[in-house]
Amino acid sequence: MIRRAWTAWVEALSARESATSLALLRIGMGVGVLLNVGSVVAHRLVPMVWLQPEDGGLRTLDHGPWLVALLGGPSPEVVWPLILGALVGGALLVVGIGGRWASVLALVCTVNVVNINGHAGGSYDELLTNGLWINVLGSGHRTLSVTARLSTGTWWPAARVPAFPRWLAIWQLVLMYCATGLQKLSIHWVPGGDASALYYIMQQPTWQRVDMRFVAWVYPLTQGGTIVTWFYEVLSPLWLLALVWAAWPERAGRCGRIANRIGLRWWFFGIGIVLHVLIFVTMEVGPFTFLSLAYYVAAVHPWEWDELREAPASVRATA
Amino acid sequence: MIWKHVRGVLVALHLFVVTFMALPSASGGMNRRAWADPTVQTEFAAWSARLRSYGVDVTPPELEETMWSFATSYEGVRNAVLKPFRPYLRITGTSQSWKMFVAPHRFPSRMEIDIDRGAGFETVFVERSGTYDWMRTWFDHDRMRSVVFRYGWPHYGAARKEFANWVAERAAQDFPGATRVRVSFLSYRTPSPDEVRAGIRPVENRELVEIRKLANERPPP
Repeated sequence: MIRRAWTAWVEALSARESATSLALLRIGMGVGVLLNVGSVVAHRLVPMVWLQPEDGGLRTLDHGPWLVALLGGPSPEVVWPLILGALVGGALLVVGIGGRWASVLALVCTVNVVNINGHAGGSYDELLTNGLWINVLGSGHRTLSVTARLSTGTWWPAARVPAFPRWLAIWQLVLMYCATGLQKLSIHWVPGGDASALYYIMQQPTWQRVDMRFVAWVYPLTQGGTIVTWFYEVLSPLWLLALVWAAWPERAGRCGRIANRIGLRWWFFGIGIVLHVLIFVTMEVGPFTFLSLAYYVAAVHPWEWDELREAPASVRATA
Repeated sequence: MIWKHVRGVLVALHLFVVTFMALPSASGGMNRRAWADPTVQTEFAAWSARLRSYGVDVTPPELEETMWSFATSYEGVRNAVLKPFRPYLRITGTSQSWKMFVAPHRFPSRMEIDIDRGAGFETVFVERSGTYDWMRTWFDHDRMRSVVFRYGWPHYGAARKEFANWVAERAAQDFPGATRVRVSFLSYRTPSPDEVRAGIRPVENRELVEIRKLANERPPP
C-alpha cells in the first residue's frame, strides 16, 4: 500500500506539461519584484525602512537576514547592491533571460531586502518570495521569453517541462487562503455572528485608501462580503480538488464529475478575482492584489492557455 | 532513478513544512499587553457569551487564561517541529504567516504629529487626512502603514521611541521655527453602522505620547 502510494507520488512528480502557465507565473513574479522593491526605491523610502538610524532608518535593526548578516549587516553598502540585484533579477524574469539563475538572483536579493525590517512588511513579501522559489524549481523560462525566442525563433514555443512546480504554486495559493480563513476566528468573521468584520476593517485608518464611513449605508453588502470571504477562504481546498478533477476528468468520481459539470474551479477563480479587486479598490495593501492574481495563472491549465496560441492558426485555417 | 526518489522526498518535505507552518498560530501575538487591548478583550467577552449560550460556562478571564495556556503549549510544539526547517525557510523565503485581517480592530488608533512653535501644539500630520499631510507621501506607502499600525500597539514601546526620534529629526529640518514635536496615537472605538448613519463621531483618546525637543536635533549655531 505505502509502496504503491510512493511509486504513484514519484511518478506524479515526473509528469511533464506545457510550460505556458509557469512562464506566466515567472513573468508575474518578475513584475511583482519590480513593484514590491521598486516602489520603495521610487518613494525614496529605502533609508527609512531598510537602513540603520545613523543612515536615516526608523529604528535600530538587527543583523538582518542571512546574506545581509553575512555581509556585515544592513548598511548602505550592503543594502543598495541587494536592491539592485532584486530589480535586475525581476527584470530578467519578466523578459525571460538567465533561466533559473535569474530566479535565484531575484529570490536571494528579494528575501534579504524585504526581511531586513520586520516592522515594515506584509504578507505580500512571503507571497512573492514563495513564488520566486517555485520559479527556481520550475522551468518557466522555456517559453514566452527572450531565451525561447533566441533558441527556437518563436516567442511561444511548445516547451514541455516538469509539472510539479505549477502544482506547488496552486498548493501555495490555496494554503494561503485556507490558512488565513482558519485564523479568522473573530466573532465578527465566523458564521453565526454579526458578520461585521469587513465593515470594521474598512473603517480602520491604517489600510484605507479613502474615508470609508459611507459603507455604513450599504452595511448589508459588507455583511454579505464578510460571509463570502470567510467561506471562500475556508473552503479553498475545494479549488485544488476541482483543479485536479479538471486535469484528470477520467479519474474524477461522482463529486469530481459534478464539480467539472458546474465549473467549480471557475467559480473559485471568478470570486477570487472579484474579492481581490474589491480589496485593491478599497484598501492600500501594497502589491498583495497583484501577487495573488499572479498566482491565478497557474490555476489555468497550460493546455488551456495554449489554446490561445492555437486560435489564430485555426482562424486562418477556417478562412 | 534515485534522483526521482530524492526529488519525491524533498518535495514531500517542502509540502509538509510549508503546510505545517501555515497552520493557525498566535506567534507574534503572544504578548499579555497585546491581549489586554480592548479589541482583544471584546473578542473574549463575545466568545464567552457565545459559549455560555451553548451551555459552556466560562467567563472572559477564564477563557483568556485557557487560550493563553493552550497557545503557549501549542507554540512550543510548533516551534520545536519547525526548528530543523528554519534554515530552509529562511534561505528559500518559504515562510508562511497568513494572519491577514484575522479580527477587525474595533479600537484602532490614528497617528497624529504636532509641532510647537511657541504657542502650543499645532497639527501637521494625521493619518489619512487630506489637510494635515506633512510627509504624507511616505506615510501613505504600504510599508510605512505597516510600521505605523504596529506602533499604535502599547507593546512596541522601544520601537515607537526610536520612531519619534526619527520624526524629530525630520521636523527639525522641515520646521525651523519649531521647538518641540509630539507623536501620539488617537485611539477610539469604531462607530457602528447605526452610529455613523446617526452622525455620531467617535470620542478620541490621546495615547502613547512621545515628545521631543527639536533643539537636540539641530547643530549648534
